[in-house]
Amino acid sequence: MSTANIKSNAGWTALGAACAIVLAVLWAAPLLWALSTALRPELETVSAEFHWLPQTWTLDAFRKTLAAGNLLRWLFNSALVALGVTVVTMAISLMAAYAFSQLRFRGKGILFALAMLAFLVPFEALLVPLFRTMNQLGMINSYAGIVLPQVVSPVVIYVFKGFFDEIPADFREAAVMDGAGPLRVLWSVYLPISGNIVWAMAIVTFIAAWNNFLWPFIIVTSTDMMTIPLGLTQTYDAFGVRYAQLMAAALLGAFPVALAYILFQKKVTQGFLAASGLK
Amino acid sequence: MASVRLRGIEKRYGDNLVIKGVDLDIEDGQFVVFVGPSGCGKSTLLRMIAGLEDISGGTLELNGKVCNDVAPARRGIAMVFQSYALYPHMTVAENMGFALKLAKVPKADIEERVRRAAAALQIEHLLERKPKALSGGQRQRVAIGRAIVRKPEVFLFDEPLSNLDAALRAQTRVELAHLHRELGSTMVYVTHDQVEAMTLGQKIVVFNGGRIEQVGTPLELYERPANLFVAGFLGSPRMNVIPVSLAGEEGDATMVRLPDGSMAAVSAEVGRLAPGAALSLGVRPEHLRLASTGFGATVGLVEYLGDVTLVHVQVQGVDGMLAVKVHTGGPAPATGSRVALAFDAQQAYLFDEGGAALPAARAHAAAL
Repeated sequence: MSTANIKSNAGWTALGAACAIVLAVLWAAPLLWALSTALRPELETVSAEFHWLPQTWTLDAFRKTLAAGNLLRWLFNSALVALGVTVVTMAISLMAAYAFSQLRFRGKGILFALAMLAFLVPFEALLVPLFRTMNQLGMINSYAGIVLPQVVSPVVIYVFKGFFDEIPADFREAAVMDGAGPLRVLWSVYLPISGNIVWAMAIVTFIAAWNNFLWPFIIVTSTDMMTIPLGLTQTYDAFGVRYAQLMAAALLGAFPVALAYILFQKKVTQGFLAASGLK
Repeated sequence: MASVRLRGIEKRYGDNLVIKGVDLDIEDGQFVVFVGPSGCGKSTLLRMIAGLEDISGGTLELNGKVCNDVAPARRGIAMVFQSYALYPHMTVAENMGFALKLAKVPKADIEERVRRAAAALQIEHLLERKPKALSGGQRQRVAIGRAIVRKPEVFLFDEPLSNLDAALRAQTRVELAHLHRELGSTMVYVTHDQVEAMTLGQKIVVFNGGRIEQVGTPLELYERPANLFVAGFLGSPRMNVIPVSLAGEEGDATMVRLPDGSMAAVSAEVGRLAPGAALSLGVRPEHLRLASTGFGATVGLVEYLGDVTLVHVQVQGVDGMLAVKVHTGGPAPATGSRVALAFDAQQAYLFDEGGAALPAARAHAAAL
């Protein structure tokens, strides 16, 4: 490689690094601003003067948010709902993907096309019929009512099916010869082989369910049944929105998801690489 | 142990009939090899016996019981796959014991049977390893071990040696033959490698286009091929085929006219064929010899293979080159030189226009 080429490559690398730093700052700015706001006294958050950092550092907002009592309940609700959505979505999607990928049955192509057509229907368009159905089933203000409409995920089925298509059919056939039925093949052979992609999809589903605002907003009216995103809207009093408390609640609410992502980051990355065929 | 009986077996994918009515009897304890070119239906038929493919028509009997709709695991059959299909997340011991675990065999029995099979295959030291930590040969043994622990009545092998290198393939071939002798089980083995077929099979079934071309012992198929396809498929290099015309009969021999006009005698019965009928003359490379008199040829290529030398020659009126196998050590002709070729009447075959072999002359047939 010539000296000119080396210099040119170094230039591009530096430019790439600079772009990455700018993007990282842009991404982190709202998060840092939320942290900065949560660490100020409430009065300072509505001050006319602008300061990047708090003039007075305090944990009052966190103390008051935790003392209010509802946050822990909302955290529990969010955890239960997100876990429920994740487990049921994974179970349904894995079984559907396995059937679409590995089993032979009449109408498979049409059924798969129908499942994928769900991509084209925005969730918002289903709000009214879903609400009416849940109402008829008596599931307003219930965990089942929050969870069930969120468990059908065509994109997860599509990703799993694509992954299962790549697994040599010999594994399934060997397991069938060994005496395994479809569920056993899925559980004992396909699931362990697909470990990383399952983890990746589970984390993504968990985060999406944790952050979901719209459906819980429609189906939940009781403060006790609220999830974290809904609960944040309750952070006001007679004087209006309490910004420091709001940011403190948002940070506390996001903490479990961030922790989950950090813990499983490696598996998520490997899963996406596996799904994209890069690894 | 079990016998396998196929009657009118068909396999259809939509309108496409890929197995066209196969009748076959596999006796108890027999080692049968299905051989044929790619796409001939041999693997499909094996998978139908295993239960991995539905049977579109006909009946499959295992030990006298019709098993068309019996689940694969209930047929008393174990299969060794071409890719070995070892579960990558399980250890060797777990792979071997998986079927027993599903059958709810007590844990201690599973361990004992796995250990015994591993000892027989000399893979005891590999039991705690995962498949990715094994060589191709070791994986192959584990795949066989997984089949053995189930104590099946019939073993099915789907080209199990095709992923091994030549040396390991030869060694494993011997071990498989030894295993068959030891277990005495019925074994059905699919391959496209005629050397595997000839060395392993007690009975060889040659497939072509979804049909059986011929069934017989390796020697029968080699020495008395039923048609041009079988004659060409078994033997390496393949049998030389020369277009000839029937000239007449002289005593026990049939006289044929070669493309260059020369005459040759073949020990075959032509029946009612009229002089001038178009025939194909088949001579195996080891039966064709360089001689002082015979039909003329030009040497195109000489290949030294160690114990033998292959001389490829061009003969007038023949597409491609004919192969002549000569022992290394003797004088080998130079490329481009003219030679004369000869063969014995008893070591040549005649095929009619449809490719069917004409019967050997009675005296010759008696000798065979």
